[in-house]
Amino acid sequence: MSVFTPGLVHTPVTPFTTDLKIDYSRYEQLLEFHLAQGAQSLAITMHAGESVSLTDQEQRAQFAFAKKQVNGRVPLLAHVSDSGTTIALERAQYAESIGMQAVICTTPYYWTPPAPMILEHFLQVSQAVKLPFFVFYSPDEMGGITLSTDLILKLVDQRPNFAGMIDASLDWQFMINIISNVWRKKPEFQLLAGNEYMVSAGAIGATSMLSGLSAIAPKLIKELYTICRTEKYVQARQAQENVAALLFLINQYGFGGLKSAMHAMGRDCGSPRPPHDPLSPSQHQTLSQSLHALPFMSKEPQGW
Amino acid sequence: MQSPVTPLKDDFSPDLPTFEKLLDFHVRTGATAISWPHHKGESLNLSIKERKAFAEVAVKTVAGRVPVSVHVSALSVEDSIELAKHAEQIGADAIIAITPYFWAPSQEAIYQHYVRLGKATSLPMIAYNSPSYLEGVEFTGELVTRLMHDVPSLIAMKEASFNSAKFLEISRAALQVRPNFSIVAGVEFLAPSVPLGCVGSYSSAGAICPNLCTQLYDACIAGDSVKARELQFKLAQLWDLFRDQYPSSLKGGMVVMGRPVGPTRPPLPTATKERQAFIAKQLEELGILDTEPHGW
Repeated sequence: MSVFTPGLVHTPVTPFTTDLKIDYSRYEQLLEFHLAQGAQSLAITMHAGESVSLTDQEQRAQFAFAKKQVNGRVPLLAHVSDSGTTIALERAQYAESIGMQAVICTTPYYWTPPAPMILEHFLQVSQAVKLPFFVFYSPDEMGGITLSTDLILKLVDQRPNFAGMIDASLDWQFMINIISNVWRKKPEFQLLAGNEYMVSAGAIGATSMLSGLSAIAPKLIKELYTICRTEKYVQARQAQENVAALLFLINQYGFGGLKSAMHAMGRDCGSPRPPHDPLSPSQHQTLSQSLHALPFMSKEPQGW
Repeated sequence: MQSPVTPLKDDFSPDLPTFEKLLDFHVRTGATAISWPHHKGESLNLSIKERKAFAEVAVKTVAGRVPVSVHVSALSVEDSIELAKHAEQIGADAIIAITPYFWAPSQEAIYQHYVRLGKATSLPMIAYNSPSYLEGVEFTGELVTRLMHDVPSLIAMKEASFNSAKFLEISRAALQVRPNFSIVAGVEFLAPSVPLGCVGSYSSAGAICPNLCTQLYDACIAGDSVKARELQFKLAQLWDLFRDQYPSSLKGGMVVMGRPVGPTRPPLPTATKERQAFIAKQLEELGILDTEPHGW
C-alpha cells in the first residue's frame, strides 16, 4: 500500500480585504506563489492562516477554492480542528467529499477533556473519513493539553488511517517516545515537523515539515528541508540557524508579525482579523528594516 | 560525560569506598569528564558536609585523568556559595549550578545569582537550564548574553529543556558572544542536539550501558544519522525505564549489572526486588546484558 507523505507543506495565510473579508483574488495569488516556490503540499488553513478566526462556512469555502485553484498540482491537507467533535468531523467529511487528500486535527479548542475523551475526539474524526489522518500536537497553543504515548498507541491500534503526528511541541523527549514506540507497531507511521525546526525533528525521524515562514523566505525553507531530507543534519545547521533568527524576529511582534513580514516582502495580505492586532506603522517599519537586514533575506523573492 | 549516582550503605549512610569504585568504573569505560552530584546523585538529599566529603573523594580518585566538576546547587544560595568555594579548595576543575530552587526568580535575580557564584571562585562555571523541573524558570538568550559579558568564568551550559527553539535561542546568543562556549545536553539526547552544535551530554544511563552511550556519541559526531537515530531510540527506552522513580530505578539497574550502590534516600523510593526483576527483564530484552560490562 502506498503511503501518502506530504513532504514540504506550505501553510498559507488567509488574506483579508480592508473590511476583513477573505480576499479571494489575493488568495489565488498567494496559492500560486506557494506552488511556484516549491510547496509539495498545502495545508488549508492552519493557525498561521487564522483558521480559528474563520467561520465554518468560510473554512469550507477556502477548502473548495483551494481545491479548484490548485487543481491537483499538489495534495491538499484539510485542517479541520474545532471545539466540538461533530463540527470537526463534519468539516473533515466535507474535505473528503470535495477531493482533498488528508485531514489534520488538533486536540479540541478551549475544553480540557480527560484523556479518554481526547482519544474519542480523534477516533470520531478519523472514523468519519477514509483519508489519511494526522494529529497536530501543539500543547503550548492548546492550553497545555498533552498527549501520552499510550493514547497515541491506542489511536494507532484502532484507526488504520491514522497516518502520523505533526509535532509543534519541539519536545525531543515527546517525539522520540512517540515515534520509537509507534514504529515498532506501524513502521509507515510518519512524524512531521509542525514548524520549521526540522534539524532535530529530522534527526529523530521526521520526513515532512509544515512551514508558515514559506510565505516570507521560501528559498531558505526549501534549502533547510532539502538538506534535512538527505539526512545531513550537521550541514543543515546554518539554514536552521537562519530560520531560527527569522522566527525570533517575527515572533517578537506577536501574531501580526507574520503578515507584516509578508507585507515587507511585497506580498501584502492585509491585516489579521480581531482579536489579533495589526502592527502599528512604526512597528511595521522596524520589523521591515530588521527583516531586510538579515543577510540571507537578500536571496528571497520580493513581490509575487 | 558521566555524573555518578551516590552510593549509600544499607543504613543510608555514605558509602565512600563504593563511590571510589564507581568513579573508577566511569573513567575506565570512557567518561570524558565526571560531574557530581547531579539530581541523579541525590544532591538535595545529602547534607553539605556529606557533599563535601564525596566531592573530595571524587577529585582524589579521578586524580586528573579527566576533569571533575562539582554541582553546587543547594536549596540555600549560601550553601551553594560554600560548596563552590570548597570545590575550588579541593582542586575541582569547574562548578556547575542550576537556577535557584523553589522560588520563581526573575531574570534579574537569576543574573545576580550567577554573578555572585562566579565571583565566589576563580573556577570555570557551567550554568544549568532545566525549566521542566523548575516550574518553567529558565534562561533566555538575552540573559545568557548578559551573563557571558559580565561573568567571564561562564564557559558552558547544561541545557535540559530538550526543546529545539530553546536550544537555538541559547546557542545563538552564546556563540555570538564567544564561539567556544559549550552547550551540553542534559541526558543523552544527542541525535537531535549535536547537529545544532551540542558538544556532549551529561549521561543518565552511563552506569548501566557505557558502551551504548559512547556509540551514540560517536555516531552523532560522525554524522551517521541513521545509526544515531537507532541508538537514540534504544537509549530513550532506557531513559523511560529509569526516569520512572529516578534515580532509584537506575540504582536498581546497577544491581542487575553487578554494580550495587545501595538504596536511595527518602523521600525517593528504593527499587524493590520486584522492580529490579522488571528492570532486569527490560535490560535483557534490549540486549544490554550481553553488550555491556557486568561488575566493576
